[in-house]
Amino acid sequence: MTDQPGGEDPATTSTDGDGTEPDARYTFANERTFLAWSRTSLALVVGGLAIAQLLPPFPGIPWGRHVIGTPLILLGCAVSVISYLEWKASQRALRHGQPLPRSRLPQILAIAIAVIGLIAAVLALLSAVGVP
Amino acid sequence: MSPPAGTTPAGEEPPDDIEYADPGLARERTELAWTRTAIAFAALGAALLKSHPVVGLLILVLSAVVWRLGRLSGTAVAGDVRERRLLLITVSTVGVSLVALVLSFLGPGIVSLR
Repeated sequence: MTDQPGGEDPATTSTDGDGTEPDARYTFANERTFLAWSRTSLALVVGGLAIAQLLPPFPGIPWGRHVIGTPLILLGCAVSVISYLEWKASQRALRHGQPLPRSRLPQILAIAIAVIGLIAAVLALLSAVGVP
Repeated sequence: MSPPAGTTPAGEEPPDDIEYADPGLARERTELAWTRTAIAFAALGAALLKSHPVVGLLILVLSAVVWRLGRLSGTAVAGDVRERRLLLITVSTVGVSLVALVLSFLGPGIVSLR
């Protein structure tokens, strides 16, 4: 490990890939963003599994838990894959000194959670009024 | 943290950036992020350990691997090695979510609070 002043010690060697090696701090920051999204996707998967397995069944709607849990698990899967692709795109942009591509993950996550929340509210209401 | 790429080439950062004086902070924060990710895997593995010992143990081993990768994250490696480490996280998460999907349909009480 080299330790030059000024933050220019390379986190990666400059021989791989095209473009030029970006500042190591940007490489680290990009990596941390990916890891943060990975933890988000793990939390979604765990939450979906917990809802499907631990939540008592909705009265009259025994499949209701899966309607909430399965989309959460699939959302976690998608967030994980998309965050990797966006890490790769950001790293490519950094190597070429281009502007970073805008992340679509916040929008995807917000819309998906809003929809799942609405579904959960409808299920809770339906089971409360006793619709089969 | 979103670096303004394209406007700040290496070596032209404002000197009031604390990481300009101590670039080791970025390295350390990244190692800590890896550690948090490993803990997230470990928590899932521990939660599944009682009802699904094999699955839980596999995820615990995975968390140990992630933790080890975190200790290595600050050292200089080729870019494709770095990429493969991140790919391992994504592949693991996809695998875990597929397992979770199967477990969630294995009927009630498989994972029980008893």
